[in-house]
Amino acid sequence: MSIAKAKASSPPRLKRDTRTFYERIEPWLFLLPALLVFGVFLYFPFFKTGYLSAYLTDRVGNPVKFIGFKNYTDFLTGTHSKTFWNSMWVTVRFVFFVAAGGLVMGIITSLLTEKAFPGNALASAIFAMPIAIASSAASMSFKMILHPSIGLLNKILGTSINWLNDINYTFGVICILAIWLATGINFIFISAGFRNVPADLYESASIDGANAWHKFRYITLPCISPTLFFQIIIDVINAFQTFNIVKILTLGGPMESTNTIVYSIYLDAFRNYRFGMASARSIILFLIIMIITLIQFRAEGRSVHYQ
Amino acid sequence: MTQVTRARSGLTNKQRHILWTGIRMLLTLPFVALIMIPLLYTFMMSVLPADELYTRFWPSHFDFSSYMLVFTKTMIPRQILNSFIVASSVTILQMITCSMAAFSFSFLHFKGRNFVFMCILATMMVPWEATIISNYLTVSAWKWLNTYHVLILPYACSAMGIFLMRQHYLTFAKELHEAARLDGCSNWRFLATIVVPLSRPALGALGAYIFLQQWNNYLWPLLVTNSDSVRTVQIGVASMYDVDSEQINLMMSAVIVCLVPSLSIFIFMQKNLINGLMAGAVKG
Repeated sequence: MSIAKAKASSPPRLKRDTRTFYERIEPWLFLLPALLVFGVFLYFPFFKTGYLSAYLTDRVGNPVKFIGFKNYTDFLTGTHSKTFWNSMWVTVRFVFFVAAGGLVMGIITSLLTEKAFPGNALASAIFAMPIAIASSAASMSFKMILHPSIGLLNKILGTSINWLNDINYTFGVICILAIWLATGINFIFISAGFRNVPADLYESASIDGANAWHKFRYITLPCISPTLFFQIIIDVINAFQTFNIVKILTLGGPMESTNTIVYSIYLDAFRNYRFGMASARSIILFLIIMIITLIQFRAEGRSVHYQ
Repeated sequence: MTQVTRARSGLTNKQRHILWTGIRMLLTLPFVALIMIPLLYTFMMSVLPADELYTRFWPSHFDFSSYMLVFTKTMIPRQILNSFIVASSVTILQMITCSMAAFSFSFLHFKGRNFVFMCILATMMVPWEATIISNYLTVSAWKWLNTYHVLILPYACSAMGIFLMRQHYLTFAKELHEAARLDGCSNWRFLATIVVPLSRPALGALGAYIFLQQWNNYLWPLLVTNSDSVRTVQIGVASMYDVDSEQINLMMSAVIVCLVPSLSIFIFMQKNLINGLMAGAVKG
């Protein structure tokens, strides 16, 4: 009884009662445009994708017949499983090489521009530049460089390899273009990580007689490892979603050797009009990316204690 | 330690410094080349006279006629205009919607604020594949295909933009808001006349980032447009290979033309843009 009384007369409730109706809805008015856009183009389609994934759909994407998990079982174990597991394997290898390559490029370019030298600012700008370059424009440049008869690469090597239609090379070439495009973002974040290493640690290490390798191993590496980890996650998520270069350069070929999961979703939905099946694959991809993001959030929590 | 090293190598500190700087520059060169060669090569191919395409890298003279052709004989000028319309509309819309939402999340108090904010942050986890099929089906059912608004409205707000602006607003002193309220300034006026002018660097970074992203957008415009009157320049450039496989100069000139706006923004906004990206990366 007395508790209820205290609650009833507590200041917050009184204060809330004094607010006008407009004051109470005002925060929501500021949010309205954002919530409208997210509602229509993100939350609704996301749940609709989940809904469609349980249906057989017609050519314009209307759900025709509820089939439960059949779309999922079809590509996980059934008639489409060969293509699906091939695309998974292609994607996993692609993600591995692109994340590793992007990271290595980021570390090397950051180390090179770490100390001042004439032309340092220009080199830094060039290393960061790929963030501004459209993957479609870059793909067209590479298409020219890799041209079988007049391309730069064949001219230099004196060969006439059809880089984009030879099962031995195409996958590697696509990885290299993806790494080239990822260099900008890797350089920006990793070089910022290097700059944030406290300079006094190096000074005291020098006084203690540490050499360059010791400084790198025992100061630089531990200090930038959270940055590197964060960057790996970003690279992995980006690589998982690579679409443009595959669409423009290889169309998934030759012999499905570059048919990534994203490209196979595109083919299923917009070439074969199997919207239900494509939705089911999208959900699988969403689960993969969600797990990776959750790992990142958890690790980030840990890296705060780290510093 | 340093004395020992110096005695062994016979170099003074200054000489060692010069030596290392030289080595550093030499090592940097191949990596700079790695990034620059595709771009320089594209430019060279765009100005190489047609009869030298098969024989030379460096043209005997610079032939800019293909640039004239790009502007007079292709749809590229129209597509550039379309890209500008779409990218600037999205940029302006996002600056408005994200500023408003971020203002609500950082200055105003209401029930469920944290929950709504988490719901918006969570959308960063959803890959575009998970929404693009349904979005395509929705907009085609609405007969929105081949319009400007189908290219603009789905991008009218972003979680990244809200997050970025909120991070910035949290650095404002709460007293500023309270003082303005006591003087009878409405929240709308406070946002428009005090908060926005004070956030120009953050807004600029966000704007440059959104514009670049939209300028380089490929898949959504490819799906929802098929007429040249609304198609954007990335689609136009990427489709030239099929149409004009013989006209390599023309194709490479078009690539250069569509790179110029985004590279200019990068060069002029570089510092601002990179700082903005860093702030956004605090929580991906």
